[in-house]
Amino acid sequence: MAPSQIEIAQPPADAISAIAFAPSTPTRFLVSSWSKSVYLYDMSGGEEGGEGCLLGEFEHPAPVLSVCFGDDDNEAYTGLDLSSGELTVLTKHAGAPASKVAYSREHSLLISTSWDMTMHILPTSNSSSPLIVTLPAKPFALSLSPSKVVVAMAARLLHIYSLPSLVAGIQAGNPVEPWQMRESSLKFMTRSVSCMPSDLGYATSSVEGRVAVEWFDSSAESQARKYAFKCHRTLHAEKNEEDGKEETVDLVYPVNALAFHPVHGTFASGGGDGTVALWDAAAKRRMKQYQKFPDSVHCLAFSCDGKYLAVGIGPGFEDATINHYDAKGKARILVRELGENEAKGKSSK
Amino acid sequence: MGKKRRRHPTLEELLERAWCYYCERDFEDLKLLISHQKAKHFKCDRCGRRLNTAGGLSVHMNQVHKESLSNVENALSNRQGLDVEIFGMEGIPEDVVQQHNQRIIQNFYQAQADRQTATGNPPSGAGADHSRKKLKFESPEELKTRLREYAARRLSEKAAAPPSNPRDVQSPGQGNMPFNAPPHGHPGYPGAAPSAYNGLQQSNLPARPTANPTSPGLPQRPQQQQYGSNYWPPAGGNASTVDELVSGASRQNDNIDHIIRMAEAGVKPAKEDAPAEKKKKDKNRMVFNNEERCPEELLSMILA
Repeated sequence: MAPSQIEIAQPPADAISAIAFAPSTPTRFLVSSWSKSVYLYDMSGGEEGGEGCLLGEFEHPAPVLSVCFGDDDNEAYTGLDLSSGELTVLTKHAGAPASKVAYSREHSLLISTSWDMTMHILPTSNSSSPLIVTLPAKPFALSLSPSKVVVAMAARLLHIYSLPSLVAGIQAGNPVEPWQMRESSLKFMTRSVSCMPSDLGYATSSVEGRVAVEWFDSSAESQARKYAFKCHRTLHAEKNEEDGKEETVDLVYPVNALAFHPVHGTFASGGGDGTVALWDAAAKRRMKQYQKFPDSVHCLAFSCDGKYLAVGIGPGFEDATINHYDAKGKARILVRELGENEAKGKSSK
Repeated sequence: MGKKRRRHPTLEELLERAWCYYCERDFEDLKLLISHQKAKHFKCDRCGRRLNTAGGLSVHMNQVHKESLSNVENALSNRQGLDVEIFGMEGIPEDVVQQHNQRIIQNFYQAQADRQTATGNPPSGAGADHSRKKLKFESPEELKTRLREYAARRLSEKAAAPPSNPRDVQSPGQGNMPFNAPPHGHPGYPGAAPSAYNGLQQSNLPARPTANPTSPGLPQRPQQQQYGSNYWPPAGGNASTVDELVSGASRQNDNIDHIIRMAEAGVKPAKEDAPAEKKKKDKNRMVFNNEERCPEELLSMILA
């Protein structure tokens, strides 16, 4: 069997908001969806890769916007639209949905951000009340590295918090200042952030088909290494409305998802054009671009061992159609089993 | 002195180029094509070995990795099949070859037509042997008769036109112009310029008092003062012969040609740079653009 791709048999009923792989079982993953449910799948079931069976569906009172695993395979946290519900409500964002959640296993901290411009930091080891950090703008993306939290916000703001200082802030009950405040190197709205597993830097993507790779280290030589590139664009013949002439237009899609490979440090990007590409962050090369998926790529996740890449697809977000967006029955999950060296960068050979 | 003209490949050259069945990319020579195919289409995912053909890769996958190859990587969606055995240019089905050639021919003529509309140049014969533009010579006698004709005509015009007219409309910078050099091509001289010529030069600048390319604040260009309309047709609507019209037009075009040639050679004059880039930007269209809210938030607002 060549590097194969399987489609999950029972996909969520509505658009997929996030995919998270279990921390220790590489075949198990959670999918959160606008259908107000979180789904647990496992691919180890059948022969020949199987179809990926649905182990459980956890209903929520509102669309689920984000999901992450807790300390082990049996614990998960979800971010809800109108966060409430009969599951244990851990923390409640007033006034606006909790858009993203992330869990740091190293520090036993659950971090959630909301469009109410706050970030809640909740220690899960004890039941103390969450530390609430007020953000200067709406958060759009959140990602954790072993020691940092990167929050990308509106107005191209980007704050980096250090996890140890957040832990200290909770214990002392003091407000925590960001470790670094940056401006995004991309000119348009940040769509996704993903930290390098090496804890050295992160990648951001924007709605304008661009990805930037940056380093945490604020020294001049490290900052000089940062770069950005265009991707997820397609040339399209279009009629010019003014003169009726055919011309080629570069259609620029949002880069909806970024995910770093946990082992090789390369990363995947998924865009509204329905493609997923593998990039070598160190060599600044595209290693692979997969066959176009039938719909826009919404989220990506690598399994803990880097053997699987799960891709959540659905109808794309477009200016023209967002007001009557409907993904019911159109969401699909594809899991690609990667070859041994498929995601391995040149430099690491 | 002249810049070397960028040579466009002829149709024959284009058709002779090696090209890849799987992705339609073309190459300088067969060697490059083959290495491209080995790297892009016949490379083993698992061990990185480059095979010579898709069949070879399939056998390799089978024997070494105990896997079966289902399609060719990085290929166009209708060319992924393993059933055609391709090596370099060999094995491409005849209908695909026809299709490819058709595409090349079409692109070639399209590009040629685009170039012609952009430059206004006549089609280049076989891409070589450009006959140079003829230089126009006038004997001193011819020049003199022309000057006489011109003077006579001007005299009669002056008699016909209201005398105050030209001065009134003139921009202040031109006040120091010598008296014997009239404001060329001024609309106040009825019939001074053939209308076709007027249209060519002035159609989009009706409000300007002169068809003079220099800005009103600057001193006059020396040639215009010395030679009047004879050597700088755009400066005067008094072109007396059709030849002059043509040479005037081509001179104008030469300027465009030069800019285009510079652009093609990658040398961008500072002035031309900005609009060109703007144009490029216009051709991008973002699928989703919102400064305030991300799609998820918009979606949750709709649902709420």
